[in-house]
Amino acid sequence: MYWNYVLIGYVVVFGGLGLYAVSLLRRGRNLAEQVEPDRRRFLD
Amino acid sequence: MTEPTADPDPAEQTTEPGPSVSVDLSPRDLPGAAKRRSLRNWCIVGALSLVLAGILYQALTSARVFFYNVDEAIARRDELGSQTFRIQGTVVDEPADIGGAMVFTIAFNDETAVVRHVGDEPSDLFEVGIPVVAEGHWEGEAFESRQLLVKHSESYVEDNPDRLVPDK
Amino acid sequence: MSPPTSTGPAATPTGSKLTRVLGSLSLAFLAIFLLFGLMLSPPEVSQREAVRLFYIHVPSAVIALYLAFGLTAVGSVVYLRKRSTFWDLLAWSAAEIGVLFCAFTLVTGMLWGRPTWGVFWKWDPRLTSTAISFVLFIGYLAVRQLDLTPEARSSRAAVLGIIGFLNTIVVRFSVSWWQSLHQGTTLNPVDTQMDGLHLLSFFLGFATLALVFSWLLVHRFRVAWLAHQAGEAGLDRALAERRAEATGRTV
Repeated sequence: MYWNYVLIGYVVVFGGLGLYAVSLLRRGRNLAEQVEPDRRRFLD
Repeated sequence: MTEPTADPDPAEQTTEPGPSVSVDLSPRDLPGAAKRRSLRNWCIVGALSLVLAGILYQALTSARVFFYNVDEAIARRDELGSQTFRIQGTVVDEPADIGGAMVFTIAFNDETAVVRHVGDEPSDLFEVGIPVVAEGHWEGEAFESRQLLVKHSESYVEDNPDRLVPDK
Repeated sequence: MSPPTSTGPAATPTGSKLTRVLGSLSLAFLAIFLLFGLMLSPPEVSQREAVRLFYIHVPSAVIALYLAFGLTAVGSVVYLRKRSTFWDLLAWSAAEIGVLFCAFTLVTGMLWGRPTWGVFWKWDPRLTSTAISFVLFIGYLAVRQLDLTPEARSSRAAVLGIIGFLNTIVVRFSVSWWQSLHQGTTLNPVDTQMDGLHLLSFFLGFATLALVFSWLLVHRFRVAWLAHQAGEAGLDRALAERRAEATGRTV
C-alpha cells in the first residue's frame, strides 16, 4: 500500500542526486581546462 | 610595447601600470548578450521576490491560525459565524452516512462537535481515535466540512507479522 | 554543457583520494540503506509503506535546513568579517546543495502528505516556512548571478544567506509556535517515538544522505574554486589587453 508514492520519492531523491553529481563532475572537467595548474588549489 | 603577461602581479597593474602609461579601467558598454543576461537575472530576482511575498501572505493569513481546536471553535462560534475555517479534534465515533454526508463527532479538551462532511473521502488513515482537521463552517450546532484531512501522530509502530495484538 | 573529454577517476579534476573514499562509502551505505529502507524494514501499523518516506524526508530536511544552510550562514558571517574567498565559496557551495536537498524535502513531503493527510499541500506553518527557506535560498543563488562587482555580489548574498538560515529557527519551532497539520518531533532524544528496524533504517538513510552531501560539497567547492580562478585569469587577460592598448596609445 502506497508503494507508488514511496518509489517516486526514492527515484526523485537518488535520481536527482545522481544527475546533480554528473553535472558537477562535468563542470569541474570543463573549468579545469580553463585554469592553469598552478592556480588549482584545494583540489587534493 | 611592454609584455603584459610578464608582470608577476596583475593586481599591481591596475594602480601602477608604469610611470608614463595611463590605463583606462572604466567599464565599457556590455555587449548585447551580456546586457540581456543581466536583465534576465534581475527579472529572476524580482520574480522570486514576488513568490516570496505571496508565500508570506499565505503565512500571515492561512498558516498563522491553521486551525482551531474543537473547544476554541465552540468558544468562537458567534465570532466565526458562517466564515470558513479549520477545526481540529479526535474522531470519537464511527462515521454514519446520512443523506450522502459523512457524519461523525470529534472531540478536544472535553468539548465535542458534530461534523457533516460532504466532499472527497478522507485518506485511508481515517479511523476512530485519530485526530482530523476539517475545513468548512458552522451551520448551527454542526460543522459543515468540505475537506477532511487526517493528522497522523509522531509515533511509529512496526507492523510485525508476529505481533500479539492484531492490526486495526 | 559539453560532454567530458575523457573518462575515469584520473580525468576528474575535482576528484581526489578524499572524494573517492567519500564516494565509495556513499555507495556502500546507499546499497545497505536501500536494502533496509525498501525491503527489510516492516510497514508501519497505520501508515503502511508510506513510513519509508520518513527515511529520506527527515534526513533531507535536516541536511538542507541545518547542515547546508547553517554552513552557508557560517561561511557568510566569516566572509563579511574577513572577506575570505574560501568561506564565500564554501557558503555558495553549501547553499546550492542545500537548495537541492530542500527541494527533496518538499517533494517527499508532498508525496507523503497525499496518502496520509489526504492532500499534497496545505498552507500549514511547517510547510509554509520550509517553502520560504527554499525560495530565500533560490534567491541567494540568483543574487550570486547578478551583474554586480564580485564583492557586492558576495556581500549581498552573505546577508541573504544569514537571513535565510534564521528562518530555519522558524521552521524548527513552527509546529509548536502555531497549530500545525504537520506532525511533531518523532526523534526526540528524551522520548523517541520510533524503534527497531524503523529507527535503524532512518539512521542508515541519514548516514547515506550525509555522506552524499559531503561528497557533493567537496566537489561543488572545487568547482566554485576553479570558476573563481578562471574568472581571475579572465580579469588578468582583460587587464593585460587594456594595458597593451594604453601602451599602444602612448607609443
